[in-house]
Amino acid sequence: MWTISKLTFKEIVSKRIFMITIVMTLIFLALYGTAIYFAGKEGAEVGDGGQGTEAILLQQFVSSQLLGVGLYFSSFITALLAILSSVSTISGEVSSHQIDTWLMRPISRSQFVLGKFMGLAFLMIAYAVCLFFSIILLHQGIGTDWMALNLQPMQLIKAVSVFAIQPFVLIAFGLLLSTRMTTLNAGIVSIMLYGAAFIGGFIEQFGALVEKTSLVNIGIIMSLVFPIDSMYRKMTILLFDTADNPLSLAQGGMFTSISTPGNVMVWYAVLYGVVAVILAIYSFKNRDV
Amino acid sequence: MDVIQTNSLTKTYDGKGGISDVTLSVGEGIVYGFLGPNGSGKSTFVRTLLGLLQPTSGEGYILGEPIGTTKSREQVGYLPELFRYPDWLTGKQLLESHADLCKIPVRQRNKRIEEVIELVGMTGRDNGRISGFSKGMSQRIGLACAILNDPKVIFLDEPTSALDPIGRKDVRDLMVYLRDQGKTVFLNSHLLYEVESVCDHVSIVHQGEMIAQGPWRELMMTEAQVEIVTEGSISAPFPPFITDYQKGKAEEGRTRWVVQLETEKDIPKILHHLSSRHIDVYEVKPINPHLEDVFMHWVNRKKESAYVDNQ
Ligand SMILES: Nc1ncnc2c1ncn2[C@@H]1O[C@H](COP(=O)(O)OP(=O)(O)OP(=O)(O)O)[C@@H](O)[C@H]1O
Ligand SMILES: [Mg+2]
Repeated sequence: MWTISKLTFKEIVSKRIFMITIVMTLIFLALYGTAIYFAGKEGAEVGDGGQGTEAILLQQFVSSQLLGVGLYFSSFITALLAILSSVSTISGEVSSHQIDTWLMRPISRSQFVLGKFMGLAFLMIAYAVCLFFSIILLHQGIGTDWMALNLQPMQLIKAVSVFAIQPFVLIAFGLLLSTRMTTLNAGIVSIMLYGAAFIGGFIEQFGALVEKTSLVNIGIIMSLVFPIDSMYRKMTILLFDTADNPLSLAQGGMFTSISTPGNVMVWYAVLYGVVAVILAIYSFKNRDV
Repeated sequence: MDVIQTNSLTKTYDGKGGISDVTLSVGEGIVYGFLGPNGSGKSTFVRTLLGLLQPTSGEGYILGEPIGTTKSREQVGYLPELFRYPDWLTGKQLLESHADLCKIPVRQRNKRIEEVIELVGMTGRDNGRISGFSKGMSQRIGLACAILNDPKVIFLDEPTSALDPIGRKDVRDLMVYLRDQGKTVFLNSHLLYEVESVCDHVSIVHQGEMIAQGPWRELMMTEAQVEIVTEGSISAPFPPFITDYQKGKAEEGRTRWVVQLETEKDIPKILHHLSSRHIDVYEVKPINPHLEDVFMHWVNRKKESAYVDNQ
C-alpha cells in the first residue's frame, strides 16, 4: 500500500504542473504580502488619530477581512488542486491500461485505492497547511502591529485542522467518482458540487443576515450534501471567534461568517470523507479494469 | 499440480464478446500457446485469470489458488498487450517500484534488476525516462517487469508486437530459457511463426470459443502440404493414394511439386515410393499451413461434431 502512496506522491511531484503550482503559489503569497504591507502602513497612519471604539472596530474589520480574503483564496486553490489531482487518479490509469501491471501484483484492490488516497491526501493536506501558515505569517508579520490580530496558538491549531478537512473531503470524493467515471465527468461533477456548496453557503449567510430560516436551511442542506464551504466558515469562526463575539456582525463580511456551522458539522465532514473512501474501495473492488 | 487450471471459465461483456466456457489445464515447465485471430478473446481470458476482470461464471486457479485473490498473483508475471508504464519513471525506477510491490528483499533487489535488464537486452538504457523510450524499448522493459520476481508462471500477451526481428528472436530465446528453468509460459498470439518454434502445447480459440487443444504438431498438421523437388521432368511419380498435387515449373532439370497430404505420415510413404522407383529427390519441405486455414479446419471440425452431437 505504501508503495502505491509513494508512487502517487512522486508522480504528482514529478509533473511539471506541480512546479507551476508551486511557483504560482509563491507569486500569490508575494502579492498578498505586498498588499498586506501597504494596507498595514496606510491603516496605521489613518488609525493613528482615533483611539475610540470606532477606530478599533475599523481596525478589526479591515484586518479580519484581509486575512479572510487571503484564506479564502487559499482554500479555493487548495480545493481546485485537490479536485484536479483526485478525479484523474484511478480513471486515468484505467483508461490508459497503466493500472494493469500494478493490479496484477499481489496487492488487493482496497490496498490500491487506499494507497492512492493516502498519497494524495498527504500531499494536499501538507500543501494546505503550508499555505495556511504562510498566509497567517504574512498577515501577522508584515502588516505592522496595526494589522495583527490577536490569535492564540490553540485557535490556530483548531483552525488549520478544519482548514485541512476541506482537501481531505474533496480528495475522498474525487477518488470515489474516479473509480467509476471518466476523468472529465468526475471533474465536472466535483466542480459543480463545489460551486453549489459555495452558493449554498452564501445563501445561508444571507438568510442569517435577513433572518430567513428557509434560506438558512437551504444552506444547511447544501453543506450536508457537500460539506466544503461550511468547513471554510467554521475555520473563520475558529479564527475570529465571530459568532459569539459582540463584534461579530462588524467583522462579518463576504469572507467571514455569520451563520455558524456547529462542531457536529466538523465531525460530519470528517465522517463524510471516511465514508467516501470506504465507498471508493467498495466500488473499485469488483470492477473490471 | 497444474500451474493453471480453469473450469468452464467465462467472461463476457454484458453478454457479448469475451470468451466462454474455457476448460484447460497447463502443466509445469512448458510453453503454452493460446492462439486465435483478433477479437477471439485471448486477452480477455488472461486478464480474467489475473483478476483484472471479474469472471462471469466458472472458476480458475493459478498454482492452486483461486483467481482474483492476492495469493494467486504472488508468483506470476505479466506483460500486457497494451503495455503502458508510468512515463515519468525511469526504466530502473519502474523495476524498483515493482520489486517493492513483490516484496523482493532490498539486498537482492539491485542484483535482480540488473539481471533482468540484461536478459531483455536493455543494459545501459534503463536509466532513461520511459517517456523517452521507443515502443520496442517499452515492451522490453515490460518483459523485464514480467520476469522480475522470478515468477513460476508468466503470461505474455503478444510479447513481440512492437519488436524487430532480432527482438523477436530474443523473446523466443527468453521463452525457451524460462521453460528450461522449469517456468511455465502462457503465450497469447495470433502469429503462427511466433508459436511454432517454442510452444509445446496449444489451444485454438475462435470467436470466444475454445475449438481445439493439444500438442502443437497434432493441431497444426491438419492439412499437411509438402514441397518436393525431384529429378527430371517425369509425370506423376506419386503413389496412387496421392490424388491432389500440382506440378510447378521445371528448372535446371528438376521439377518442383506441391503435394497435398492427408496426414504427416504420408511423407515417408511417398519417399519410399519414389526411391523404390529410383527417382532422385533433392528437397522435401513441409509447407506450413496458414493460421487461417488451421482455424477454419478446426472451426469446421467443431461445427461438424456439434452437428453430429445434435443428431
Ligand atoms: N471492454 C470491452 N467491452 C466490451 N467488449 C469487449 C471489451 N474488451 C473486449 N471486448 C470484446 O471481446 C472480444 C474478445 O476481445 P479480446 O481483446 O479478448 O480479443 P483478443 O483475442 O485478445 O484479440 P487481439 O488479437 O486483437 O488482441 C472481442 O469481440 C471484443 O470486441
Ligand atoms: Mg489481445
